[in-house]
Amino acid sequence: MISTGEYAVELRGVAKRYADIVAVDYIDLDVKYGEIFGLLGPNGSGKSTTLKMVLGLVKPDSGSVRVLGINADDDPVAVKRQVGYVPESPRLYEFLTGLEYLDFGGDIYGMGASEKKTRIEEYLEAFDMEGREGDMISSYSQGMKQKIALISAFLHKPRLLILDEPLTGLDPKSARIVKDLLRKLAIQGVTTILSTHILEIAQAMSDRIVIMYEGRLLALGNIEELRQKARLPGSDLEEIFLKLTGTEAIREVVEALLK
Amino acid sequence: MNWKNVVRLIGVNIKSGRLIRGQKLRRYRERRVFQYLLYGGACVLGLVIGLAVGNFYIWLPDSELKSLFYQNARYLFASLPTLILIYSLVITMMGQIQQMGVRSSIQLPYWLPITWEEHTLASTLAHLIGLPSASIILFSSAIAVFSIYLGQLPLATLTIFALLASAFLASITTEIFRVLQVRLIGAIYKSSGKAAVWVRFLGSLLFLTAFYMVWFFLTSGGGTIAFIEAVTGTQNTVWFLPYVWLGIALASFIGGLLVQTIIFSLASILFILALFYVAVRLNAKFALYEPPAITVSKGAYVPKAGLLGKVGFSSLEAAVIKKDFKAFTRRRELMYIFILPIVFILMPMIQMLGSSKPLESSPFLYAWMLIVPGAFVAVMLGEMIIGEEGSSVWLLFSSPLTARSLVKCKYVFICIFSCIITLVCGLVGFLIARPSLYLALGLLIESFLLILALGMVSLRAGIIGADFAEIPRPRMIRPLTALVNGLLCMVLALVILSPLIPYVVTVMNLSAFIPVPKIDLYVAVSISAVIAVVITFVFYRISLKNAEEFLKKAEL
Repeated sequence: MISTGEYAVELRGVAKRYADIVAVDYIDLDVKYGEIFGLLGPNGSGKSTTLKMVLGLVKPDSGSVRVLGINADDDPVAVKRQVGYVPESPRLYEFLTGLEYLDFGGDIYGMGASEKKTRIEEYLEAFDMEGREGDMISSYSQGMKQKIALISAFLHKPRLLILDEPLTGLDPKSARIVKDLLRKLAIQGVTTILSTHILEIAQAMSDRIVIMYEGRLLALGNIEELRQKARLPGSDLEEIFLKLTGTEAIREVVEALLK
Repeated sequence: MNWKNVVRLIGVNIKSGRLIRGQKLRRYRERRVFQYLLYGGACVLGLVIGLAVGNFYIWLPDSELKSLFYQNARYLFASLPTLILIYSLVITMMGQIQQMGVRSSIQLPYWLPITWEEHTLASTLAHLIGLPSASIILFSSAIAVFSIYLGQLPLATLTIFALLASAFLASITTEIFRVLQVRLIGAIYKSSGKAAVWVRFLGSLLFLTAFYMVWFFLTSGGGTIAFIEAVTGTQNTVWFLPYVWLGIALASFIGGLLVQTIIFSLASILFILALFYVAVRLNAKFALYEPPAITVSKGAYVPKAGLLGKVGFSSLEAAVIKKDFKAFTRRRELMYIFILPIVFILMPMIQMLGSSKPLESSPFLYAWMLIVPGAFVAVMLGEMIIGEEGSSVWLLFSSPLTARSLVKCKYVFICIFSCIITLVCGLVGFLIARPSLYLALGLLIESFLLILALGMVSLRAGIIGADFAEIPRPRMIRPLTALVNGLLCMVLALVILSPLIPYVVTVMNLSAFIPVPKIDLYVAVSISAVIAVVITFVFYRISLKNAEEFLKKAEL
């Protein structure tokens, strides 16, 4: 199943502009198979655009995006078949029940009936959704909707997971399940690109991290390599992030606000 | 009451129109000229109407005719408050219906220091923004100018106040209805359990049918005149209904009954205050009420193979078709698509019931009932079917859906849905109009051909004009695209149906007046079929290209 290439995702000279705004500015990026890859950056740094280009949702103005050995621009449908995606604050079909939504998701990816049934039941049980699966999604809390979106992304056994703030609204147990699941899947060769603003999660889960800023890659590597780049030995990801993105003068800002 | 808060809340409501108009949201600039164009236009139109009618009155040469005109004009003044009340009620309710299903339309900022009185007043006044306000401005300016010619300025002033009060009365009633319906729906969900989806569906159909029947009746020219006549004649006999008190006050003023005028005016004010108090109390109690969840199923999950899979659809295409079916039977803002065929059947029947002509053996009535609802639904569905995905469209964009599959599953849904409606409407038409079997079959094929062609044409419009904005109400398609597509579909429908013209001329023995060659029905239908197939094929190719672009440019 695993492609013979080394990288699950390869971005070469990728750029994207929206009118006069540069969203992504000629970046090169590789994500290895079986890697949990953290994508960090302040708001408007180009993370979501990068994720959408990987998925083939947004066409880059220049450069190439290869996903699982497939050119995402040439054959986005082939890419999508192998990817599980959870956008930031996903909007689901609120007129369906949770179960109907997952059934729909399974059908979209062409899952067989018995496999779909087994996996849906397993996931619903794991995420404590049993008893509410027959209710309309419009009645779900934000966390329950997030669980349904996550289950839908995991259901068809994708080879690449693209998760934008996946733990938003989840209760501690479900958040732990997601984290453990991603680690186990990584061992099986499933690649995960994880975008989050919760730096503790990014640090704890990611094999490598990239920090984006104004559409460019500021730093790339594991936590130790990032410390070296920021010249902050022993520091945590938050300090590294703030230093590299030029927002370390937080204390002065807070002082000014308190005046 | 903090009046500034009321004004601020109304301001928020006015600004929500920015999303409806789909204006540029980045570096936003308010175009105030457009914002007030409707009201300015209504005022100018009202002044022109007032001047025209006033001059006509002056011009009338016969004094008897002049006197009759004068009397009728005064009676019209007395019936205007009730007319405006009904119009405002219908329009404000329509606004509420359009917002159905959108949970986050203009959310109540309940965590802010705003009292329920302020919220209720702002909400009540905000309902009147747009068409109701424009109607009041139009009538007021026309009345003001016309009354100068009549020499009835005091009556006109009183009428204008009555119009404002009537609109406010209607809006408070809508506000009460809005709060109550949320609570009522919650109670129905709870008591009907698993059947809640169908109870809601049928209940919404009944309500919307009744509502649209009233709307179409009032907006048809004859309906309005009949209504004014009815109000003028019966207003005093139903004096116990507080909603007509404003009209009675005016009628009393015209009759010179000053005490009665004062009594009914004061009673109207008290009634408005009482309704406002009720609306405030209801808002305080139920405005934050969340209806309970509808539990659709509690049994064990059994995936179904489904008929669609057996007839050649991939699991992905079948999933989208099934999802769309659920959307149109569960989303209240989409349910009105079912109402239109019902109204299309009922309206001509009501009009014809009033006439002396028998309903039976009317081929035109049958043609109307058979062809129009299905074709209209096909056009509407085609335009809406992509945009109805709303902000959930990310799922389609991120799923392995090809352009061909997208067009296929959406088009098949349009055709199946519209054909079912055509069959049902055709059956009703057949039972009422009793056409010959030959004619019935011929027209049935024609209506299927229209659905096939117009469904594809409109689907193409739905793809290029898709609008996923959901707040404050789902837009689904850009208005200009819908308008252009509507016109295009009308032209194409005429082209497809044009081979029938010689047949109709022959059957109705009009050959002497319209020189056309004789043609049999089956020949006409065959020519129509060729035209429809060509149109469908051409627009299928265009739709495929548009769908490819659409899926590529999924920039959410």
